Amino acid sequence: MVAMSTNPLAGLLRKSPFKPIQEHMRTVFSCVMLLPALFDALYRKEQGEVTELAGQIGVLETEADGIKATYRHNMPKTLLLPVDRKDLLSLIHEQDSVADGVEKISQLLVNRDMTVPDAIKGGLDELLEGTMEIITQAKNMVEELDELVHVGFSGREHDKVSRMIDGVRKSEHNLDKILKKVNRTLFTIEKELDPVSVMFWYRIIEEIGNISDHAENMADRLLLFLSK
Amino acid sequence: MEVIAAYGTIMITLAVIFGLYMTWGIGANDLANAMGTSVGAGAVTVKQAIGIAIVFEFAGAVLAGGNVTKTIRKGIIDPTNIIATPEILVYGMLAALLAAAVWLMIASSKGWPVSTTHSIVGALIGFAVVGIGPDAVNWGKVGKIVASWVISPAIGGTIAFLLVLSTRKLIFDTENPLRNAKKYAPYYIFLVGFIISLVTLFKGLAHLHIELTGPQSFGLAICIGLLTSSIGMFFIRKVKEDTEADRDFHFASVEKVFTPMMLFTACSMAFAHGSNDVANGIGPLAAVISIVTSGGEVMQSSEMPVWILFVGGTGIVVGLVTLGYRVMLTVGTKITELTPSRGFCAELAAASTVVLASRTGLPVSTTHILVGAVLGVGLARGIGALDLRVILNIIVSWIVTLPAGAIMAMVFFFFLKGVFG
Repeated sequence: MVAMSTNPLAGLLRKSPFKPIQEHMRTVFSCVMLLPALFDALYRKEQGEVTELAGQIGVLETEADGIKATYRHNMPKTLLLPVDRKDLLSLIHEQDSVADGVEKISQLLVNRDMTVPDAIKGGLDELLEGTMEIITQAKNMVEELDELVHVGFSGREHDKVSRMIDGVRKSEHNLDKILKKVNRTLFTIEKELDPVSVMFWYRIIEEIGNISDHAENMADRLLLFLSK
Repeated sequence: MEVIAAYGTIMITLAVIFGLYMTWGIGANDLANAMGTSVGAGAVTVKQAIGIAIVFEFAGAVLAGGNVTKTIRKGIIDPTNIIATPEILVYGMLAALLAAAVWLMIASSKGWPVSTTHSIVGALIGFAVVGIGPDAVNWGKVGKIVASWVISPAIGGTIAFLLVLSTRKLIFDTENPLRNAKKYAPYYIFLVGFIISLVTLFKGLAHLHIELTGPQSFGLAICIGLLTSSIGMFFIRKVKEDTEADRDFHFASVEKVFTPMMLFTACSMAFAHGSNDVANGIGPLAAVISIVTSGGEVMQSSEMPVWILFVGGTGIVVGLVTLGYRVMLTVGTKITELTPSRGFCAELAAASTVVLASRTGLPVSTTHILVGAVLGVGLARGIGALDLRVILNIIVSWIVTLPAGAIMAMVFFFFLKGVFG
């Protein structure tokens, strides 16, 4: 006997595109959360530990990449989504750039035995702390996507997420200030340091700054979901 | 006339067998699809769904199924030209039943979302064209039915859309969604009982010889609404806040209120299906029996014997029990995206639309109205993603089903005509 099952509903209802985005963000988040430990190991000049942490970051980044790839494959043009398809894809792209950035930083620290100049340690810590804060905010923002769908991207939930978006933007602004400060400090001591290291420190600081830029871009994508 | 006198018993037996085959298919697939929504949302188990279907499918067929049967039997084809040879109509009805049932089987096994309604309408047209002549087809009526395939899902979609907006306004977008869910749930359940019973009662239960006036119908509908809502309150009182689940999803507790509410829409869905789709199987069956028992009267307006509705109901239940439960299991696991609140809105909208359509006598498709209703929820930006290709498939299946049913009915008609001579 042939099993009969032709439910048009089963085919009509596709899996929510917001769940994989959240899953991806959680992976990206775990990836970023390894940054403080990475720098701590660097401060302690434990190169072995740095390499090990970089390895973990690499694994998480690959995992995030996998989720992103699957997501893109499962996003046919024929889907009726409550938000613009392009915005969804840009959101996951920005999330992915965060993990890429973290991996880049970890690779720089693995490829060169970097010594942290005492003068920038304080600024670097502030920078990392600010990055953790903004990524946590961004993750919380993404975690609201389910609820946003449920209420049709409007009302209280809309206002709540709007406030979260504002929060991310403020944090990004603060981080920019810290960034300037650290760069300035680095400039004042750059003559005392090995020129190639200075160049790499500028790059590392820039990469850390990029993470919050991507978080802000995420907030901007979410803002597009909210706009009618 | 001699043919009917000679083979009357065989004809009735064949009609009952084909009718059972057709209704078996309806129960195995169509009804299972309609009930799958509730199973998927976790509101009822498969066993409960079968129980609900047995009771409410019968109720729907007996209480509200009369009008559609009339349309199927008399509205689509005009038998005036074959009054002298009533056996032609008997062959035709038998052929139509068999063609629709076979087409339903083929399409189901291939995974095409065809409608039982479309199959039988197509088959009737097919027979009429070759058996009586193209003029015998009431093309205006056919046009109306075709239009209803667009209009009825649109109505279902609109009602679902409005229901979703109302749940948002009253429940989800408030300070305390759980408290409001519990507060407004009885009103929604009242709506389920009220609308379904009002639409059923409004034109009276003429074929059961129960005549109710407008105000009487209203009063009874309110009573039934109040009854369902008080039963609902009993269930909803037991819903507790689940802070553990709320950590993952803010509205998890609220959805728990909608779960028992879906129990009522599941009942109304089965009722609506019974009122509309059972007629697809038993309309032609009733026609055959009316012709044979009257000794060849084609045009007489006979009463629909209630036992025919029971034959239809039995076929459906057997279909549900033998195969439908499996369909419900697969459907249930596939449509988890339909949360209880979304499912509630979609089912209430669909059931209301189907019963409304059955009262006007239009044989609409339950499944496609349900699809329309789900689209309505989606358009309210309440569903993560809908696959529009599936809509295209459905439209293709609508278009294909009419000629497919028609061609098969032609073949079976000539076969039966040859056999009976």
